[in-house]
Amino acid sequence: MAINRKVGFLKGLGYKGGGPMWAWILHRASGLAMVLFVGLHILAGFLTQQFGSEAGYAINAIYTNWIFQIVIFFLVIFHAVNGLRVVILDLIPALLQYQREMIWLQWLTIAPLYALVLFVIIKNLLGL
Amino acid sequence: MKKITLKLFRYNPETDTKPHYDTFEMEAAPTDRVLDLLEKVKGYEDGTLSFRRSCAHGVCGSCAMRVNGENKLACKTLMQDLKGNKVVVEPILGLPVQKDLIVDMEPFFDNYKKVMPFFINDDPKPEKERIQSIEEQERFDDTAKCILCGACTTSCPSFWSNDEYVGPAAIVNAHRFIFDSRDQGASERLEILNDQFGVYRCRTIFNCTVACPREIEITKAIGEVKKVIATGNLE
Repeated sequence: MAINRKVGFLKGLGYKGGGPMWAWILHRASGLAMVLFVGLHILAGFLTQQFGSEAGYAINAIYTNWIFQIVIFFLVIFHAVNGLRVVILDLIPALLQYQREMIWLQWLTIAPLYALVLFVIIKNLLGL
Repeated sequence: MKKITLKLFRYNPETDTKPHYDTFEMEAAPTDRVLDLLEKVKGYEDGTLSFRRSCAHGVCGSCAMRVNGENKLACKTLMQDLKGNKVVVEPILGLPVQKDLIVDMEPFFDNYKKVMPFFINDDPKPEKERIQSIEEQERFDDTAKCILCGACTTSCPSFWSNDEYVGPAAIVNAHRFIFDSRDQGASERLEILNDQFGVYRCRTIFNCTVACPREIEITKAIGEVKKVIATGNLE
């Protein structure tokens, strides 16, 4: 009997696909993280508004935590810029031959945006 | 010559319940190919080792396998192009493993057949050949290089998760006819590829382009088919 064709998560991760494959994985992961983020945000709002619940305040405390903000801002910026890269490549197939350059351009776009976010978060953290 | 360790995926459906790995120590020259190492093992160490090979010159597409985690043709992969002294050879992903490095290619060819990979033209046969300009031929020159080894389709995470997705190889072969000025079956093929298991399962991951031993710009070809479906314009 043959071994079935199933490719598990770890087996798939073991494939050496390089930068674009990791960008796709991070895109998926950041998308899921944002769904969770927005979902919890709505839940926290509902709990605090309707019941004045402690659980709602606890969730909001996580949201305002600077470590959480550093992570979520990275995920949101990455997801947006990477998504734009894929949309542009899908709309203009002629650019697909420059996909390596596009990845560099993507990181060059993310870097200043994220640096600005870090600057603001750290500035607030230090109370400047 | 250098000493290398060759680690091979093994599975015998008659005796094994689970796959395992066998390790072989051997000397290899920088110009040895992975296929040469497999032949050495089969000829001198373990005759039961099973793998596909035919032309051994990168034309037939039989020996696609995962070498150090990447899809490659064993006959085109030189030792000097691999890092380190350890070579791990495993079957390609997403197809049932029949024995050792041999996978069942039927699901792959079923997807290939879906896109009608043959010339369609109902016009009366011309007296001589059907003339085509150099520019018209160049339009599908790249995708005409495909040897159906399956390295692209089996490197694609979308195909791993669902084998109903036609996969990069089938789209490449559809592209070869869709953009052929002599062919008249483009609209039918585009309709097939506009299905939920057609081109839009491609997530622009680029594994296929990197894996192709013929250096076909596969993601670009898929992108061109996507664009034709979206715009209805073959130009």
